[in-house]
Amino acid sequence: MELLIDQFFVAIQGSNLLVLFLSTVAGILIGAIPGLTVNMAVALSIPLTIHMSLAQALCMIFAIYVSGIYGGSVSAILVNAPGTPAAAATTLDGYPMTQQGKAGKALKMALFASFIGGIMSIIILVLVAQNLAAFALKFGPAERTTLMVFALTIVGVLSGRSMIKGLLSGAIGLLFATVGADPMLAVPRFTFGMLELEEGFGFIPVLIGLFAVSEMLVQAEDRMQTSIKASYKESSDREEDSRLTRKDILLSWKTIIRSGFLGAFIGCLPGIGATVACFFGYGEAKRASKNPDLFGKGTVEGVAAAESANNAVAGATLIPLLALSIPGDALTAILYGALLIQGVQTGPLIFQYQLDAVYLIYITLTLANIFMVATAASFMSFFKRIAEVPRRILFPIIFVFCVVGSFAMRNSVIDIYIMMGMGVMGYILRKFQIPLAPLLIGYILANPFEEALRQALVGSEGSLKVFVVKPIAAGFLILTVLAIVFMIRRTLSARGEETQGGENREGEESEL
Amino acid sequence: MMDSKKIIRFALAALLVFGLMGPALAAEFPTKTIKVYVGFSPGGGTDIIARTVASVAPEFLGQAMVIINKTGAAGTIAAREVSQAKPDGYTLLVAGGSETVSVGHYRELPYHPINAFSPVIRISRDRMILNFNANAPWKTLKEFIQDAKRNPGKYKYASSGHGGIYHSAMLAFCDRAGIKMKHVPYKGGAPGMAALMGGHVDIAIASPSEARALVEGGKIRSVTLTSLERTPLQPDVPTLKELGYDLYLENQKGFVAPAGTPKERIMFLHEAFKKAYEHKAFVKLCTRLKIERGYLGPEDFRKSLMGMYNQIGSVLKK
Repeated sequence: MELLIDQFFVAIQGSNLLVLFLSTVAGILIGAIPGLTVNMAVALSIPLTIHMSLAQALCMIFAIYVSGIYGGSVSAILVNAPGTPAAAATTLDGYPMTQQGKAGKALKMALFASFIGGIMSIIILVLVAQNLAAFALKFGPAERTTLMVFALTIVGVLSGRSMIKGLLSGAIGLLFATVGADPMLAVPRFTFGMLELEEGFGFIPVLIGLFAVSEMLVQAEDRMQTSIKASYKESSDREEDSRLTRKDILLSWKTIIRSGFLGAFIGCLPGIGATVACFFGYGEAKRASKNPDLFGKGTVEGVAAAESANNAVAGATLIPLLALSIPGDALTAILYGALLIQGVQTGPLIFQYQLDAVYLIYITLTLANIFMVATAASFMSFFKRIAEVPRRILFPIIFVFCVVGSFAMRNSVIDIYIMMGMGVMGYILRKFQIPLAPLLIGYILANPFEEALRQALVGSEGSLKVFVVKPIAAGFLILTVLAIVFMIRRTLSARGEETQGGENREGEESEL
Repeated sequence: MMDSKKIIRFALAALLVFGLMGPALAAEFPTKTIKVYVGFSPGGGTDIIARTVASVAPEFLGQAMVIINKTGAAGTIAAREVSQAKPDGYTLLVAGGSETVSVGHYRELPYHPINAFSPVIRISRDRMILNFNANAPWKTLKEFIQDAKRNPGKYKYASSGHGGIYHSAMLAFCDRAGIKMKHVPYKGGAPGMAALMGGHVDIAIASPSEARALVEGGKIRSVTLTSLERTPLQPDVPTLKELGYDLYLENQKGFVAPAGTPKERIMFLHEAFKKAYEHKAFVKLCTRLKIERGYLGPEDFRKSLMGMYNQIGSVLKK
């Protein structure tokens, strides 16, 4: 305890707080710009940490990380361009809210949910890091495979009005994911001899193209004279719409907590990541919600679900890193290097030999979350104005960022073409009212699913029994079956209502 | 009139010739920033080596170094880029690992992994250490090999990806030991270690510094390594050579230039990097980052790369 308090005072020195503040601002801005990712920002800040103290270095890294993930939601909500992959699910309800003039409410809910999700994951990290790490190791190929199968049922949940269109969209996502080297034998598929395509279409160009570029194309159809906010008839300037009311919080608190746990759970499994987590959180929130039909049309619950989950990943990815020295994603791999520079060796013994460093990590991560809230709250009025900038000025700027961001991922021009191609495809799909979210989920899950499936089958020599014999794997399969049955029943009952003459169809908005 | 035109022409021609010859005559090198390509993401092991050198070397180069991360296809995209770059010493690649000694044996590459480059200096050598799960039933490697001989194809090993250096090292190990194992590729070394700790595979390779934290924490046991001598980080782990298996593979990292780069420029770069390599600040950073320094000059680095490339090639031909 004494050590914890000591470390607290080490952490809150003036210079550290200054670093925290500056890094938070930088993190939010980098996160908000589509294509400039948190990973890149953290990696480039590592050389700066060489000459810093451990506390300072941690403040810098965590502040960029935590606020960067929040920052991604700002552009997701305001202009339908997720600033980071982790904010992809935030667009589903965030952007419709902006179109309804509720940008302020969405931004505040995103911040609130991010903060709660972040703090929850820290509590989980502090309390059960070692147990959870041991549990995460049980997730072998068979367990991962069935987890992915279960995750794929979210496609159905997000399909909206037409299940067929949703499944079609998911299938297109799976199809695109087959481009690249196969995960077992590295045989190139659909690469046409181009080395650049061996890793498949990069996630960032696909994401930016599908969401941001297709949005610009749709908007370009009218003449872009007005701002996003003014261009929608329902646009409202009611005071209530830019605030987070008690009603909103009452509506969303369960969702936030659930997403926080889901995010932390997925975060502690190495190699799955925040993007899957936020869709998981979103899908489960919709399944559990009393009014699932509002999802995708601009409900605070949807924003809360996605944002709580993706920020909960932040703390949880530290669990395998600290307890087992296993960096679960690119970001924790960078953090591992940064900790080594500071002389901190992660692994099972860190809790015995370098407890001071562990405490410092807890404290700085908490401080980073607090600074994120404080800084973002003071930026709020500035953010809201972005939606008021005329689109003919705003969109060209965003487009430049989209191009630069796609290129910057790996300094490759082909990624710009992929982004543009995806933009055109997203535009066409929208015209046919095919939802884009299932495509993205199919795209994200395909490769980890194939990898895990084939790893499991190597181990079992082709026998599918592994998926039933192992209890965790079997559990996910049962959940999958239940989810499908649940979905079929709902579809049938909805159809029943319709044939009975219930003409309660709401406005024909195309869902994302 | 004619004369003055001629004079102008001559003057222009002279200007052109001298203009072109100027740099060559003065033999000034380098006069601009040196680009270093890294085939892996910022923050990874290869990138850290590039950036650590770049934090010290400009002092001796007289020019800045810029690191370009061109990731993808196991580092081969960056390698191809550099192999096609102008051989003037201004474009370098951090090479020596999978993309140089291993991948080329599994599929055709648009460049020769060794001959397309002119080595400058080897900076580091990351050894490869083989590990069991801490609860594995075998006390020694010998016991395991006997068991595996009785049960061909029963046991599994993790690698960092098909065709990577860990995959090749395990294939070479199985070849020397006369056993058959199943290969389970993961995306990178860390997920493979997680699979080992979770008991999903029986053997996984790590670098000594990664392994040590987990050995001390009682999660895994290191059994042998593919180097010629033991590692100071785990001095009680015997090498394969000591155990009677002839195999020498290490994950080396160093700088290479495109083939055809003038010798004096290679030597200039070598001298500058060597001074950086010996610099106090660099040594200190390496100690902290647990990078094992391993200097080799241009010729020795080439021989070492060639040796490892051929070893892997001979195993795969079988």
